[in-house]
Amino acid sequence: MADAEELILSQAQELRRGTVVLACLALLEAPQYGYALLVTLNDAGVTVDGNTLYPLLRRLEKQGLLTSDWNTDESRPRKFYRVTPEGSRVRAGLVREWEDLVDSIARLTKENR
Amino acid sequence: MSGNTLTDRYVHEVVRRIPADQRADVADELRTTIADTADARGAADPEAAERAVLTEMGDPIRLAAKYADRPLALIGPELYPAYVRLLKLLLTTVLPIVVAVLVVIEVLDSNDVGAAIGSAIGGILTVGAQMIAWLTVVFALIDRSRHRETAVAEVDQWSPDDLPELRQTEKRDSGAALAIGWNALVLALIVWQHTAAPYRAGNDRIEVLDPALWSGWIWPILVGLAGVVTLEVIRFATRTCTMLHAGLYAVAELLVTLPLAWILSQHKFFNPAFLADVNNGWTVPDAVYTIAVIAVLLVSGSEIVSRFREARAQS
Repeated sequence: MADAEELILSQAQELRRGTVVLACLALLEAPQYGYALLVTLNDAGVTVDGNTLYPLLRRLEKQGLLTSDWNTDESRPRKFYRVTPEGSRVRAGLVREWEDLVDSIARLTKENR
Repeated sequence: MSGNTLTDRYVHEVVRRIPADQRADVADELRTTIADTADARGAADPEAAERAVLTEMGDPIRLAAKYADRPLALIGPELYPAYVRLLKLLLTTVLPIVVAVLVVIEVLDSNDVGAAIGSAIGGILTVGAQMIAWLTVVFALIDRSRHRETAVAEVDQWSPDDLPELRQTEKRDSGAALAIGWNALVLALIVWQHTAAPYRAGNDRIEVLDPALWSGWIWPILVGLAGVVTLEVIRFATRTCTMLHAGLYAVAELLVTLPLAWILSQHKFFNPAFLADVNNGWTVPDAVYTIAVIAVLLVSGSEIVSRFREARAQS
């Protein structure tokens, strides 16, 4: 039975993988820096490792979905990320996709419960 | 920034593997992120916390690959099957032929079974290693250039029309492997007869080809042969033949053919000392050279034409 547990764990990871982008685009409506974002995501139940999240933020920035600024007000300068208008549009599209997906899966799994 | 903390060493290992224009920014961000995480872990023992955070971030090579959005493989899944197929063909067909030739030469030369076995083992190891090494280098380079292209232009549409005919592929695969093996063999033989001077005339060891060629016409021929081998490997790996490919092939082929035809027509191909010893005073008639020149030009001409035909059929 340990095998089934392990399979669920690894498949769940596959399921979550794509949701990190959506969660980032949603959270970064307000500017946030890397580590704080990581904590917020993990507290919210979207588990992600730093070595995945930080490169991901840069990729989203390169794609024009995020923009960043160095904030030097505090003793430790930090890079704050924020969604661009383009990022907001992509997020709206992803949210629609997500809701469709939830509906479809809910319908498909109804009989099997 | 004291310069030699664990974090500094880690960050350096990451950023030296990503494009130069992003290095400073990624380094600054990574440093603050590591410090933030370590602070949150434990104020009691900052050093242990730093160590734990770096362990969690993992191998710098992996992290750098994520930042640079680069594959962590020398030869990716797209090219791997072609790589294995060609390697198998080379090691099972071309390598035995080369080794057999080496053994025959050794037996003729020294008439010693032990030496022949020695040269067989040496041949398998060195020639085999060369084949594996060069093939791997060429495929890795193709993979790198491909990855960049697809990253920029996304993937081009595949349709079932792209499926190659079964017969044709097999024929083309073995044809390409044969061409690779043949050109590499010629290249190796030219270099070998120069460095080993295998022919024995009286008490001297001499080269078969005219040694004067090494201060001139042999170089474009060697470069051309290397070019032909590389282009054939690319054709085999990508299974396509573009106009650019055909053009480059024509250049490489002409680089071999034109100097070769010139050398033959000037009767400067063989080492005069070798000819004198082999022919025992009999001179090679001019007609032989003329026929050789015509044959060389015809063969390479038809190869170039067939390459352009293939390219046009695929475009």
